[in-house]
Amino acid sequence: MKILIISNNPLILRTWDGKIPVRYIDGSAPEVLLAVRDLCHLGYRLLTHPLSGSIKPNETPYKSVLLAGTCCGTDTESILLTENAIDVVQRFGPIRRNWQERELKDFQLVDASLLAGAAESAIADLKEI
Amino acid sequence: MKLELGYLRVTDLRFGSPSAFCNGVLTIDAEAVRAMILENDKVADVQLDIAKPGESIRITPVKDVIQPRIKIEGPGGMFPGTISKVDTVGSGKTYVLEGMSVVTAGKIVGFQEGIIDMSGPGADYTPFSRLLNLVLVITPAEGLPQHEYEQAVRSAGLKTAVWIGELARNAVPDRSMIYETPGIREGMALYPDLPRVGYVMMLQSQGLLHDTYVYGVDAKRILPTVLYPTELMDGAIISGNCVSACDKNTTYHHLNNSVIEDLYAKHGKELNFVGVIITNENVYLADKQRSSDFTAKLCEYLGLDGAIISQEGFGNPDTDLIMNCRKIEAKGIKTVIITDEYAGQDGRSQSLADSDPAADACVTGGNANMVITLPPMDRVIGTLDYVTRIAGGNQNSLQPDGSIVAELQVITGATNETGFNRLSAR
Amino acid sequence: MEKLRVVHYINQFYAGIGGEEKADTPAELRTGAVGPGLALTAQFGERAEIVATIVCGDSRFNENMEETTAQILAWVAAQRADVLIAGPAFNAGRYGVACGTVCSEVTEKLGIPAVTGMYVENPGVDMYRDKTYIISTKNSAAGMRDAVKKMAPLALKLALHERIGASVEEGYLPRGERVNFFEKERGSLRAVEMLLRKLHGETFETEYPMPSFDRVAPSPALKDLSHAKIALVTSGGIVPHGNPDRIEASSASRFGEYCIAGLDTLQSGDWETAHGGYDPVYANADPNCVLPADALRRLEKEGVIGKLHDLFYSTVGNGTAVASAKKFAQEIGRRLLDSGVDAVLLTST
Repeated sequence: MKILIISNNPLILRTWDGKIPVRYIDGSAPEVLLAVRDLCHLGYRLLTHPLSGSIKPNETPYKSVLLAGTCCGTDTESILLTENAIDVVQRFGPIRRNWQERELKDFQLVDASLLAGAAESAIADLKEI
Repeated sequence: MKLELGYLRVTDLRFGSPSAFCNGVLTIDAEAVRAMILENDKVADVQLDIAKPGESIRITPVKDVIQPRIKIEGPGGMFPGTISKVDTVGSGKTYVLEGMSVVTAGKIVGFQEGIIDMSGPGADYTPFSRLLNLVLVITPAEGLPQHEYEQAVRSAGLKTAVWIGELARNAVPDRSMIYETPGIREGMALYPDLPRVGYVMMLQSQGLLHDTYVYGVDAKRILPTVLYPTELMDGAIISGNCVSACDKNTTYHHLNNSVIEDLYAKHGKELNFVGVIITNENVYLADKQRSSDFTAKLCEYLGLDGAIISQEGFGNPDTDLIMNCRKIEAKGIKTVIITDEYAGQDGRSQSLADSDPAADACVTGGNANMVITLPPMDRVIGTLDYVTRIAGGNQNSLQPDGSIVAELQVITGATNETGFNRLSAR
Repeated sequence: MEKLRVVHYINQFYAGIGGEEKADTPAELRTGAVGPGLALTAQFGERAEIVATIVCGDSRFNENMEETTAQILAWVAAQRADVLIAGPAFNAGRYGVACGTVCSEVTEKLGIPAVTGMYVENPGVDMYRDKTYIISTKNSAAGMRDAVKKMAPLALKLALHERIGASVEEGYLPRGERVNFFEKERGSLRAVEMLLRKLHGETFETEYPMPSFDRVAPSPALKDLSHAKIALVTSGGIVPHGNPDRIEASSASRFGEYCIAGLDTLQSGDWETAHGGYDPVYANADPNCVLPADALRRLEKEGVIGKLHDLFYSTVGNGTAVASAKKFAQEIGRRLLDSGVDAVLLTST
């Protein structure tokens, strides 16, 4: 099982690059989700839920998603879940204010924390295979 | 398991020395509390303040709300695994200081969360405006990593609640309630004709500022399991969740879980309240599947006829909620789910991030996107630079006259998903 | 204090002009209250008065929507109405559509608030629920008193531009927007009581209806088309000339069963369309373009299909209530199964 992180969070890149492949998206959270959707159509499946965390999509600029590469066909569940998440995120609209550097770092930290638990589980699952 | 709760009504809260609880009046030696909290060198400073119902005070940013209690008889102490040792709690006798709470406030991360207004329209939307609140505004040590600060704030709040509880050790309760859950075999013999009902309680468990602890164990790591309802009354579950203000369960909500109270009220009369099944809301999809499978399996194993399912938080927990509902219903067990909604400011968007026709019985805590205007208050307890940075507000939230226009999401406990409030929507 | 000015819209029946036979009555403007307007007046007391009543036949309205609406708008504007009330229409489909149209147009074009009343299954509900306020009524005029009791207070609130509460508070059918309000009991108690009702098989009302995607699992594909009996069913309204069963041009209350045994095609003149929702010229010139009997007969002769069923079923889909359509389908399906039909070609417009 190949695993891959899609993220626009620089902290994720620094933390996991070298341990788990990271595809860094230099863009917004909605753009991250679109990349995830495209990968799902190409045979990847979701390992984490795209709507991670309770911080609203128009509050935090960061989004990180963990994917697994599949050998066979597309996983419809993943596509539906991602499309649904895109709907929700789009509904909330753009980020509502200009966060300062310190606040951005805090959002990066929370996003990274949300992914970390899942990444550890995924690595553990990998070892089993 | 049988627990007697002795309720001590707190009618006034003030600073003074010596600390005491006498005739309903709680006197707190602020310096003593401060010294206790500052024993933790992760905390650089703590300011104590008091906010009473009806006062023109705004508390923000709120992290947690905790009710002081003290274990009088029975194994263990309050908040096992966190403050007290890990002994199994939920039996014997516990005193409750009713009518007051400890509120922790402090930035932890740069964006702000959680407002409690003690008067005005905002007060209607939080249960904490009706309590005498001892507020702890906590400043971290320089350069402290965020997760250590969160831990320090959490610890300070719980320790203070326990410290205050100790003052009531020799008090005489105004009233008492006995909460008793028989074992499975005994329960079946006692109530053969009553429907067997369980409470499936979903706990936020995703990471920093999104965690819950069960006997000190991170809920991210648990498999769904069964608790006696009274275990929650002694603080077996505590909140490490600060997001989002309106639908996160504070430790106060865990201690005073209203589903548990309302099921107990009908226990032995209209239903047999079998017990509580706790489960989590992990981000990892395989965990969601495992947990919902386990939860449904436990419901079936316990021979439930019906279950109430409550959740916590926004977004992906809706998926867990629907998974739990669908799988439990598929076992022939009837469910009612409790949730809140993010239907947009105009109320026209899809309220939940997930849905299923099996979820045909739903109670809602209201639309969290509803816009509310909070008038200026005479005093703000908390950090000063909060106003435009409240989650649920925006650059223009602060009006020229000092009032705040923001969404209901900013108010602590406003759309609680354990059905704590009367707010609803149609 | 000046009384609020109300304009009331009703149909020919409630104006006492006549029943179905007078449904083509042209729109007219009368002074004061007429018919159910009197009951509304009693509810208003001193606060408001019906200054004018507009009467129009249901067929006249539905078949001349644009010009009739324009006329009505002009009258309402001239009356300086503070609020418009229409109906209540209960379960009458064309009346419901008329009321819904009048209300939504008055609000959109004149900025005047409006309220009407309908039974939940009235086709007008799904069409207009989010464009105006529709009080939930019983399904017949026996519910007039109850309807008026809810319509009047809501009309006053709207006229005074007061905050309108949630659907259950004010009595209107949900409009697709969630409105917060405070219940008497806390949510956990509401949940416990809802669960007990559900456990006892009693009716309960969910506070949040899940969005329903009416998904029907498709039947498995036909194994052998060349031996299959195929039937034609349409909601395009193809009926014998003269529409002997009087299937309505909209809000159909029935379907027809017609014989095409021995026919190679549907001849213009023998058949026509009853459907009021599209220009009938082409369907009347060649009914096969809505019900492709000619194509299927050809396929039968070529052996592509086994047999074209002798009977076809027809109704009008225009503004027809979902509940009605379901009922028709159940009956038609039963008859088709009894006749050994293997598959259906369903055409609509």
